[in-house]
Amino acid sequence: MEPHRRTAINEVLPGGHGFAGVAAQGGHQLNGRKTAPLDAVAFRAASERILTAINTVIDGKAEAAKLALTVLLAQGHLLLEDVPGVGKTLLAKTLARTIDCSVSRIQFTPDLLPSDVTGVSIYNQSSRQFEFRPGAVFANIVIGDEINRASAKTQSALLECMEEHQVTVDGHSYGLAEPFMVVATQNPIEMEGTYPLPEAQRDRFMARISMGYPDKDSEIEMLETHQATSPLERVTAVVTSADVAAMIATVQQVFVSEAVKEYTVAVGRATRDSAMLRLGASPRSMLQLLRAAKATAALDGRDFVLPDDVVAVAESVLAHRIILDRKAASTGETPQSVIRGVLAKLPISQEMADSARAHRQAAGSGQPVPRSGRQAPELRHSR
Amino acid sequence: MTLTPQRQVSAARPPQAEPSRGPTHGGAGAYPWVMAGAVAVSVCGAALSLNGVLRGWAWYLPVLTTVIVVSLAMAVLRSVRAQPVLVPLGGLASLVLILTFTFFRRDSIAGFIPSDKTLAALGRLLRRASETVLAESSPVAPNAGIVLVTCAALGLVVILVDALALPLGMPATSGLGLLAVLVVPAMIKPQSVGLAGFVGTAAGYLVILACSQWFAPDARTQADTARNPGQIKRAALTGSVALVAALLLQLVIPGFDQGTFPQGSRLNPWGSSNGLNPMISLGNSLRSPSGDGRITYATNATTPLYLRSVTVDRFDGESWSPDDRESTRRAGAGRMDVGHEILAPEQVRQITAVNTGDFTSPYLPAPYAPEAVNGLTGRWSWDPATLTIKGTDTNSRNQQYLVLSSSPKLTTELLNESSAPVRGIPEEFIRPPANLPDIVRSTADSVTQNSGTAYAKAMAIQRYLRAGDFTYSLESPVQGGYDGNGLSVLADFLTQKSGYCIHFASAMAVMARVEGIPSRIAVGYAPGRLTGATVSVAGQGALPEFEVDARDAHAWPELYFQGLGWVPFEPTPSRGVVPPYAQDPSSGGASTHEGNNDGLLPTGGATPPATPETPPLPLPGTGDAAGNQLAPLLYGAAAVLVLVLVAASPRLVRGSIRARRLRRPASGRNGKAAVPLAWAELLDLAADYGVPPVASETPRSFSARLRRSPALNRDDGGKPEGAVSAGSVDAGRRAVITLTGDFERHEYGRPGTGQAESGGKGEQTRAQQIALVREALRRNAGLMARLRADWLPPSVMSRWGWIAGSPFRTVRGVAARVRRAVAGLWDKARDGVRRLREG
Repeated sequence: MEPHRRTAINEVLPGGHGFAGVAAQGGHQLNGRKTAPLDAVAFRAASERILTAINTVIDGKAEAAKLALTVLLAQGHLLLEDVPGVGKTLLAKTLARTIDCSVSRIQFTPDLLPSDVTGVSIYNQSSRQFEFRPGAVFANIVIGDEINRASAKTQSALLECMEEHQVTVDGHSYGLAEPFMVVATQNPIEMEGTYPLPEAQRDRFMARISMGYPDKDSEIEMLETHQATSPLERVTAVVTSADVAAMIATVQQVFVSEAVKEYTVAVGRATRDSAMLRLGASPRSMLQLLRAAKATAALDGRDFVLPDDVVAVAESVLAHRIILDRKAASTGETPQSVIRGVLAKLPISQEMADSARAHRQAAGSGQPVPRSGRQAPELRHSR
Repeated sequence: MTLTPQRQVSAARPPQAEPSRGPTHGGAGAYPWVMAGAVAVSVCGAALSLNGVLRGWAWYLPVLTTVIVVSLAMAVLRSVRAQPVLVPLGGLASLVLILTFTFFRRDSIAGFIPSDKTLAALGRLLRRASETVLAESSPVAPNAGIVLVTCAALGLVVILVDALALPLGMPATSGLGLLAVLVVPAMIKPQSVGLAGFVGTAAGYLVILACSQWFAPDARTQADTARNPGQIKRAALTGSVALVAALLLQLVIPGFDQGTFPQGSRLNPWGSSNGLNPMISLGNSLRSPSGDGRITYATNATTPLYLRSVTVDRFDGESWSPDDRESTRRAGAGRMDVGHEILAPEQVRQITAVNTGDFTSPYLPAPYAPEAVNGLTGRWSWDPATLTIKGTDTNSRNQQYLVLSSSPKLTTELLNESSAPVRGIPEEFIRPPANLPDIVRSTADSVTQNSGTAYAKAMAIQRYLRAGDFTYSLESPVQGGYDGNGLSVLADFLTQKSGYCIHFASAMAVMARVEGIPSRIAVGYAPGRLTGATVSVAGQGALPEFEVDARDAHAWPELYFQGLGWVPFEPTPSRGVVPPYAQDPSSGGASTHEGNNDGLLPTGGATPPATPETPPLPLPGTGDAAGNQLAPLLYGAAAVLVLVLVAASPRLVRGSIRARRLRRPASGRNGKAAVPLAWAELLDLAADYGVPPVASETPRSFSARLRRSPALNRDDGGKPEGAVSAGSVDAGRRAVITLTGDFERHEYGRPGTGQAESGGKGEQTRAQQIALVREALRRNAGLMARLRADWLPPSVMSRWGWIAGSPFRTVRGVAARVRRAVAGLWDKARDGVRRLREG
């Protein structure tokens, strides 16, 4: 089979023409040439600028904002899932705006076609050739609103882009801009005409965030600030996409010790062995977990990953990929609570286990802690 | 000296460091073999000391094979990486096999597999061993029973030492197993463990320690062992302190070297005397420091009263013991009969009321010759030949009884006239022993060469033994190795001319037989002391009460004179009372009794009242009164000392752990290990003050929890010292943050960078930080919390609890594994059946 030719979109589209709203402003090729990583001070300054900018728009959602930035720096995709009207789309838009990069927004509807997402080849009468007209996905940040309202076919068109950072049309592969991030939103409440994302597709999102309702003060403040004009209008880009690329390169350089790798793997294995889960975390999710942890560490100003970083992102990264056992679901467990339970039982390291073991024994609380990073017997699932 | 090998090896380690860490990486290598060798050497060395408990060396070969086979079996199992639990089990199995092969080859399947016949044979040998233990004095003949027990015990010690040294990782503690071996000779042998045994044990122990150090160095001490110049100094200091303590303690503890713990005293948990062989227990009774087995009696006798328990009349063989003559015994003790004619003109009748207290023996002490015993509980029987009274289903403990006894009133004339040939008594009292040592016969002949009558001969022998040549000593037979009884002992006694009553009595008895006088040895109690109390006896009114205890245990010969019956003599100098008929006319006959019974004898016509005279001979064990009164005090002090040590041990342990962790290594090479050590100290410190670590907690969250916890966060309210306290608490919190950061960088950071960042601060600072945290925790804690952290630190206590619980956990783990295996097998079997049915 002839290998697909991979073309940078810049070569295809010399001008700024295309779909409305698509401003393809020269994506940076992370894959092609190396971007120099930033030093710690510059990284911190850049990340603080972004977070401050987001927080001026969205009140009381610093955690969600930080997680969104984490996913961006870890080169993942973000799934925002919550009831309508809590600011999912606003978060996505704000994040996109703070960065000086191309943004496109796709409103998913049941009649949206895959070619609307990826692009289509059109016969050019004058040049007597087929020309590729890129779809909405050709942007640094793609906001997919209400992704679960599109048909499965359209959803899976987005899938390939997300996973491979490229679009294949008529045997041609077109590389997407870098950095590339899909921020999708979906409503958890089942409505008529929705197509819930299948597991495979959920697995491609690095993290899922539930925005949650703002607290009282934030909500009052929101009423004031959003009264006349949306503060979104005032947001200007605080970093360039080149900066973001450099930040991503910085994240990639974060050191991961053997101990943290072991711990990460132990987390994954513990979910697979948990009696409460029908489906545990996939190896891909381990990869993404570690990447998210690296980004967290970098945002925290460290050049090495701590188990804390893994713990911090584990719930967001893993909860939407695992499937509860029916029995566990009936007892009121949620994926989040199961992940929390798994983390609470998993020893961080041999030393901590050793130190804690005797005390636990003395306190008479709980089961014995397993020796190494292996599974606790109580987590083992026997059928 | 002991540290030299370690140092050499540590110096040589770097080039070949990794491969030599056998058990953790790569193949098992030489480690199990060397370690098994070390264990075998140490146990065999300790077994050397058993020579002297067991006679000769013939027993050593089976011991050697047992020890080697068991160690080898465990080494093989370990080298094929068997489950750690299986190794001791394999050792046990191999022990059973080699014991079967050695001792029950004929009673087993294929020579080494035990069968039901083996069990029967085992029962026989065990019975024999227990008889040996009860009836023989050390050194015992190495018969199959006792050697079997020795081999089995040493095999178990091998398994114990191995288990302590390897899977439990406590090589130093494995010395306990070796100590258990050494305790036996220390208790039994007069000369204690002996040089060979001690050197063998110590050498093996050092090899065990060295091997554990070479092959599986403790991760915590690993950093220190290499090239630490202070180590030899420390070892020397520890050793000399232990030595000085050992030398001083024995001076401070009274009776340590003079009878409280006399070497060869034996442990006797079954009471003051088990009495199965009074000949054996007599020496030990005499040497016993306290007056156990106190018997009180009241009598109307006018002469000093000997209480007789049992007689010994067979002088053949190595070890003499009473002959019970079970076949001719008669039941009941209501009426007894001497069984031979008494031609004496006058009979003395005596009534004695005896209370045995806690004296425990199958034989009943009674004055000679008993005619009737009333008031006994249980069933008793008597032997017509010797008039000894023995319980058939009971013993002498807590008996109160009245003995009616009668004996002819003997005079020198009567005895002199009794020259008729002996008739009517069993042959075994007359027959001189076979294989009699020459010295006995020659001595007897030379002593009695000028004597005509039997009485003259007896008197000559008694005179010879009581003369100045012989000295009474409880110690010299023990040191000379002829303690106890038997013909060879007798020969030794006649050579050394020093011993105690059993030797004098047996000498006289045997020599009398050689000279044709029937004889036997009576064992019982010499006349006792007046207690000052009186006991009212029916028909007699109030009678004075006497008491005897273990220290009055005595043996004396009884010689038979035709027409007069059995006549007791007293050949032992300084003990007992020489009866008037046996007194030398030349001695003047005034003060007839000597020794330790001064002034407490019944005064009567026959024996003149005692006058204060020669001070009692200092007997070992009895000691002086001051020492005896001081002893409980000093015991109390020692007990308090031990209690204090026990109470302080958690604190001491905690302190030493802290010191070891925070010790500043001399070279910078160990700086890396210092970070986790400081972290471990922080964890323990937090645990001590009520913030125990949680296994699933990251260092950062633990540190945050510690800083948030009341232990480092108490609201000081309006207390005056609040400001000071708050300052120190802040410093403590800062130190926690620094320590956590260091640890995180060390654990999770890029290798090498952590060193560079914290290198400047050094370990001194780390120790200071720990001190800051500790200070903050202490200031913040209440009095109780502080006391607990100091004296019962939870970090130590819970670890001890964890160790104490480990056997149970092992069992539980094994049980769970078995359960899972069975469940798996069951599932498989069910699946198989289902598949068969379907396909």
